[in-house]
Amino acid sequence: MSAAQGPPLSSGMSGGQGLRLTLRGIGHAYRGLQVLQDIDLTVAPGEVLALVGPSGCGKSTLLGIMGGLIAPAAGVVEAHGAVADDCLNPITYVFQDFALLPWRSVRDNVALPLEPHLPRAARRARVDEVLALTGLDAFAEAWPRELSGGMRQRVGIARALAVRPACLLMDEPLSALDAQTRTLLLEEFAGLIARAGTTTVYVTHTLSEAVRIGHEVAVMSRRPGRVRALLRIDRPIEGRRATDPDLLAMEARIWAMIRDDAATAERERVDAAD
Amino acid sequence: MRRIDGAIAFRGGGFAPRARAWAAAGTLIGLVALWQALEMAQLVPTLFLPAPLAIGRTLWALTVSGELWKHLSASLLRLAVGWTVGTVFGIAVGLAVGLWSALRSPVMAVVAALFPIPKIALVPLFIIWFGIGEGSKIATIGFGVFFPTVIATAGGVDGVPRGLIRMGQGFGLPTWKIVRSIVLPGALPAILTGFRVTSSIAIVLLVAAEMIGAERGIGAFILAAGNLYDMDALLAGIVVLSVLGLAVAWAIGVAERVLLRWR
Amino acid sequence: MRRQPALSRRLLLGSALLAPRLARAAEPVRFGLLHTLSPAPFYLAQERGYFRDEGLDVAFRFFQAAQPIAAAAVAGDIDLGVTALTGGFFNLAEKGVLKVIGGGLHEERGYEGSAILVSNKAFEAGLTSVDKLPGHSFAITQYGSSFHYMLGRIAQAKGFDLSSVSLRPVQQISNMLAAVTSGQVDATIAIASQARPAAAAGQAHIIGWAGDLVPYQITALFAATRFLTDSPEQVRRFCQAYKRGVADYRAAFLRRDPQGRPVVDALTLAAVADISRYVFTGDPQAEAKILAGVGYYDENAALDVADVLDQLRWFRAEGLVKGDADPRSMLDTRFLPTR
Repeated sequence: MSAAQGPPLSSGMSGGQGLRLTLRGIGHAYRGLQVLQDIDLTVAPGEVLALVGPSGCGKSTLLGIMGGLIAPAAGVVEAHGAVADDCLNPITYVFQDFALLPWRSVRDNVALPLEPHLPRAARRARVDEVLALTGLDAFAEAWPRELSGGMRQRVGIARALAVRPACLLMDEPLSALDAQTRTLLLEEFAGLIARAGTTTVYVTHTLSEAVRIGHEVAVMSRRPGRVRALLRIDRPIEGRRATDPDLLAMEARIWAMIRDDAATAERERVDAAD
Repeated sequence: MRRIDGAIAFRGGGFAPRARAWAAAGTLIGLVALWQALEMAQLVPTLFLPAPLAIGRTLWALTVSGELWKHLSASLLRLAVGWTVGTVFGIAVGLAVGLWSALRSPVMAVVAALFPIPKIALVPLFIIWFGIGEGSKIATIGFGVFFPTVIATAGGVDGVPRGLIRMGQGFGLPTWKIVRSIVLPGALPAILTGFRVTSSIAIVLLVAAEMIGAERGIGAFILAAGNLYDMDALLAGIVVLSVLGLAVAWAIGVAERVLLRWR
Repeated sequence: MRRQPALSRRLLLGSALLAPRLARAAEPVRFGLLHTLSPAPFYLAQERGYFRDEGLDVAFRFFQAAQPIAAAAVAGDIDLGVTALTGGFFNLAEKGVLKVIGGGLHEERGYEGSAILVSNKAFEAGLTSVDKLPGHSFAITQYGSSFHYMLGRIAQAKGFDLSSVSLRPVQQISNMLAAVTSGQVDATIAIASQARPAAAAGQAHIIGWAGDLVPYQITALFAATRFLTDSPEQVRRFCQAYKRGVADYRAAFLRRDPQGRPVVDALTLAAVADISRYVFTGDPQAEAKILAGVGYYDENAALDVADVLDQLRWFRAEGLVKGDADPRSMLDTRFLPTR
């Protein structure tokens, strides 16, 4: 069964009616180090932008700036577009380490962002809906510690979808998982994103994930991070195969671009650790 | 060169001590039995240490006459009110210290300066401030409980993973909701550990609190017995305090199991 | 300046007695007492060499409170002591480890020792005489203390029930005074040297004197039973020196003129000088304080046996002293007279 089947989740608006994210001249420094510099990017409504780059290039920082969790030193992020009435948090995060509250059951974790907005019954209906969608119905009462990493990130995405977001910011959502789980979840998340119709920024350091999930791939340089290339993948996301030679060629091209940067970045990190 | 033949011997294990409830109870019972035996063999003069049976008889007499309950109920009320006051203010201040930079350094400086002061030394001051009645007794216990609670709570708040707080902010949760649903439950294990410390402190301070002007109370009872060199009554009172301490520790253990069952 | 005669006399005495004393080595005796004015005759005996005359080297061990003095004797830290006869003292005496051997301070009619002190608030509300104490709060150091006992005897004398007074144990004498002057407690007992200044300063009112209401043996000389058994000769010599100290004390402080006023003359001032080496040392008002605070000692340090037995009876009746030892076995009257 693919999660992409079934009716669309209500607030995602396909056909270019969702949110458009525009980054203008974003720059950021941290402890005297220039982390990001002169970044201009646009994510079209309902599209997925995959953001790749060598370790330490500031991908996650850039995502934090887009989500309003980090104040940029320069530039501005704008969002424009219509948002459905039942959207409780237009720009919503999915975290690398899941960020689940260990003292809340799966159900209560998913309910958390709804609590300030919805009465109990409405909350329960929405939670049940996203739990079913993510295949968590049987685990609703489980504690997070009882779940595998993959199941925990399913809770993370269920919680994000529960607020009916217009934009999803996904920060290496699969990097804490093993390779097999990553493959399975990538399929599933691609379907869920498509069905939600959200504008999505997907940060990853795994190039195969980027070419599999993105309408566009933004390739960043090593620190100070800039957008080195913006590649469009003209192929419907639904039906992309890992073995597709065009995608493999794209992956090789990106790797060629960042290989030297990645090697330098790795050495720099060792230097920094000394 | 040498050959190796045969099964590989197990060499792991150990370094994992386990709690054995029967061994704990057995040790205590054994010690009391040994003590009684020494007294009965007249190896220890009862003037220096009364026998367990004599203490037991005194306790029984105190229970039957209602004297024990008269003292215990007065002490329990002081403990409950003093501990609750100290804990409520301590958690509130600890939270504030853990959340706001404007308060952190000033308050922690004051806490660090006042925490090590023996509260017994402050009893005369509390009597001038709060009177010789219940006020000074509750204040003594409350002050003793307040400072460790501030430290435990602030430490607990510091220990809440920042990622969880960023998550709450990423979902646009209002500050009160982040405090209530993320910070407080996240700090709860540290706060409960603090309770273990503060409940003991409260019991220790009970004797100091009941030094001045208490007609009843276990602490007042112990002080009076000590003053009269009534060793049976003195030790009976100490046994009551000890049992009280064990009961409170047990209750906190139950609270931890219930509130922290997610661990 | 006033110290001069006493000093020179002591030097004289010292030189006259030096030769015979060298013949036998002074035997050590450890003596426990409060660091207050109340054991003044012992200060005189020490300062004037009466212990040395008896061949004793008496070391004073000072205590902050009365109760630990008896405990120190039980623990073997002191041989003899002077302390208030309290519930704690009798409980240890019940075990046969301590015995009362002589008299000490005595509450006596006409000698103002301990005052019943009342807070201004309570006084204005009508607590103007001792028989009105029922229903009021009363500060004592602890249950079983001499203050508890005095109040108990006052209750007997005035015919009210002790349980009708709300007792407030405050551990220390200074707390008792503070509790009344600050109005937190209605009444307490305070020694003259504290009660008079408080009343004069308008901080409290004196409504009676314990000595007038209930004359009794407030402190006594006692010895560890072990010391009485092992060294009766030393006890005897100690008591001889003590009697001389009491004689000097009575001559200095307890003489009255025909109008009944205390006589203050050279003897008095000499005693004041000696005593002020132990209490109020360096205090410019030492003389006034000592004269205001001296209490009554019986002639020859006699022990008021009947009163001591009365005290024990009272403590037992109140449940403060447990035991059924023969009261007489707690006394040893071989060394000093009884009254």
